[in-house]
Amino acid sequence: MSSDTVINVSQLCKKFVSFKKEPGIVGSLKSFFVRNPIEKIAVNNFELKIKKGEIIGLLGPNGAGKTTLMKMFTGIVVPTSGELSILGYQPWQRDKQFRKKIALVMGQKSQLWWDIPAMDSFTLLQKYYEIPEDKFNERISHMSEILEVKDLLHIHVRKLSLGERMKLELMASLLHDPDVIFLDEPTIGLDLVAQENIRNFIKEYHARTGCTIIITSHYMADVQALCERLVLIMGGKKGFDGPIHEFEKVLGNEKTLSFSFSTEQNPEAEIWKNYYPEWDEKNRSVELRVPEEELRDLSMKVLQNLPVTDFATEKLPIERVMKTLMENPELLKERSND
Amino acid sequence: MTNFLKWWQTVKISWVKHTAYRLNFFLQIIGPSLVFFFVKYNLWTSIFEQSATKVIQGYTLDQMLSYHAWAFIISLVAQGHGSWNLSEDIRLGRISSYLIYPFNFWEFHTASFISFQGIQILIAGVTLLFFSYISIISSFSFEVLLTGFTFTLLVSIFWFLTQYFTGLLAFWLEETWILRVMLQIVSVFLSGAIIPLELYPEWFVKILNFTPFPYLSYYPIQIMMGRDVSLVSGVVIICSWIVGLIFINKFIWRRGLRLYTAAGM
Amino acid sequence: MLSNIKHYLSVYRKFVATSIAVNTSFRTSFVMLIIMDLFTFFTTIYSIDFIYNHIDTIGPWGRNELLFFACFMLMIDNLHMILFSESFWELSFSIKNGSLDFVILKPLNTIFSVFFRYFRPSSCVLTPLYIFYLIKYGNLVGLGTLDWVLLPFMIFSGLAVLVLIEFCFCSAMFWVTEGIGINFLRLQLQQLSRWPNFIYGPLARKFLTVAVPITLIGSAPVHFLLDKSRYGLFLAMPVAIIILIFILRIVWEKGLRNYDSASS
Repeated sequence: MSSDTVINVSQLCKKFVSFKKEPGIVGSLKSFFVRNPIEKIAVNNFELKIKKGEIIGLLGPNGAGKTTLMKMFTGIVVPTSGELSILGYQPWQRDKQFRKKIALVMGQKSQLWWDIPAMDSFTLLQKYYEIPEDKFNERISHMSEILEVKDLLHIHVRKLSLGERMKLELMASLLHDPDVIFLDEPTIGLDLVAQENIRNFIKEYHARTGCTIIITSHYMADVQALCERLVLIMGGKKGFDGPIHEFEKVLGNEKTLSFSFSTEQNPEAEIWKNYYPEWDEKNRSVELRVPEEELRDLSMKVLQNLPVTDFATEKLPIERVMKTLMENPELLKERSND
Repeated sequence: MTNFLKWWQTVKISWVKHTAYRLNFFLQIIGPSLVFFFVKYNLWTSIFEQSATKVIQGYTLDQMLSYHAWAFIISLVAQGHGSWNLSEDIRLGRISSYLIYPFNFWEFHTASFISFQGIQILIAGVTLLFFSYISIISSFSFEVLLTGFTFTLLVSIFWFLTQYFTGLLAFWLEETWILRVMLQIVSVFLSGAIIPLELYPEWFVKILNFTPFPYLSYYPIQIMMGRDVSLVSGVVIICSWIVGLIFINKFIWRRGLRLYTAAGM
Repeated sequence: MLSNIKHYLSVYRKFVATSIAVNTSFRTSFVMLIIMDLFTFFTTIYSIDFIYNHIDTIGPWGRNELLFFACFMLMIDNLHMILFSESFWELSFSIKNGSLDFVILKPLNTIFSVFFRYFRPSSCVLTPLYIFYLIKYGNLVGLGTLDWVLLPFMIFSGLAVLVLIEFCFCSAMFWVTEGIGINFLRLQLQQLSRWPNFIYGPLARKFLTVAVPITLIGSAPVHFLLDKSRYGLFLAMPVAIIILIFILRIVWEKGLRNYDSASS
């Protein structure tokens, strides 16, 4: 393993066992005595290498195994099999030095103490991580300035809004200057402005410290703004791994072409057939996915023959790619078979 | 009819919830019985070994043991229900969903109580069979059992209402479990569940008789053991407590709800 | 080693400080907890008192001996309330809702950060009462100077045995996800330890000395205090503590590996 590889994962698997239960009283009585274990494979033969200083976006639908991966990376959950090394440590051994070098932020869980001001939680964390007083003060003042939370540090956490709390959560996780930061849906539930604040802060923080960041999110804006590299996980398996501009082309060099018409059109007409048309309910406007090389011909044909009132073209946005892939996971398989 | 279906469905769902974690469920039954067999059985056996008289305040060892066996069975039915969810619902603001459902808060929790009682009565029945098999509880007549059981059910309604009452206080208090544990400690001591009331100082028992506590354990045990107790006064007292608590709870619920909706917690 | 201890002490100081900050901000709960402790204290004392109104001895002990034993156990209970009890309940919650994740992430021994996390200041208020009663009945059973010197150490060793047993039991919470049942079982075990070992039959006594050594918590030291010829069980205490620490480290580590972390 080269020295600048921070995360090295190979053939990683995690299985969970749960129980099946039939509904109703009879079902619960039955399952009270006899349980049918169901094995669920959350992560299946996962491979990944991440270099120092990278920001990578871990994407995938709900239940794809993103959070399980993050929890294995941080040593909270023990892998069933496979190899996993982070900064040269095996996370599940939970070496103290390892734990001092990582941070995990979960958008859905809070590590701040609800009933006391955030500052009290921070000083507790200072003791946990043995952060020297001067560094601690410096980081607090610096981060609270950028995040504009100076006035919130001494207010009871339960009285804060979700956006304010998330900023403080981020601060809490970064106080000890971690080398690797895991962000699990850090912007979930936040309004657009708050999302952007968090995003900008992460960007700035990364530029300043050169730390390694792994981020999961369902908001493509997060990914587009922050990540150079994307890893797609579906059904516990890796579906895509590469630079973000390649991900946009994962379904071929397609572009979106949209037309509006002054009269109702026939959606079944031959001309639309190969371009995955999506019509509005009045059949007066359509969106097509068109390979780059056919773009010109098709546009001309439509413009000449039909009563077009408006038309536009754009490259297939990452959000569209994600949606298409989630709805048709088999597209990925076809691609990898090529 | 549709209302009945709502109730039935809630009872079923609560049943599933109560039994969802089976180890938990077993531990909650095994725990108290462990204490019964280890502490109470052994303690009284060794107390009677030392005592030359062999009869303490009208109890022989066998009677003392069956007193505690009954205390155990009765507590399963009468004081089993904890209503823990109730204050949680209020504190965590889940109450809003009840305000939207066409099924009231009290109906939901009462249905949950009924379903819990179903389980407890089943366990109590099995325990009773076991106790009579190892003859800690000797012969009992069916008639006595029925009277005692009915009375115990009455007590359990009273207990449910007090639990409901303490739960409702969650509108004002941040933690109601302390109140509930307090009530538990006091009622176990004052109801004769640890020691028969005959062993308490006389002046103390006189005061106790003005409170509902002896009716929680001592009275039903006396009924079950076939002793002479005035059943009528017991039923009258418990029923008036029940009626009183229903009114108090209604009042408190209304006040609390006003607070809740006003504050928009 | 020394710097390690210093580190942990400084963390613990923070634990206490934050717990006090939280607890004192809920004043009604604070007062109610004190009343709850008072109820526990007096119902225990009077239950024993009432029984002795009708008999002279239970096993070898008369009223004062048993009440001294009860005060000894109540003292342990008081310390247990102050130092540990809150953390046990918190553990079962945090396993169920997954908030244990953050505890595991911290660069500290997890046994420490789980079980020493919550401090209950309200129980400190009554500590003088517990000490007063312990001294009162200690005098009545005629403790000597050496006994008084030994007493605090015995209380802390008793507490150590108790919490170590409880820690071991709590490791099981990692397997069952809903840990509240284990907490109830723990309370029942405490109940068993609150009576002197001689009330138990030979088989039960052996079980409660060797398998789940709860009779070592109170019975062992108090027997020794009252009768110096009964040192056997008392000497078993340090042995039990060492063995329990050993077992705890194994089962706790196994439990952590089994932690599923409830997904968000």
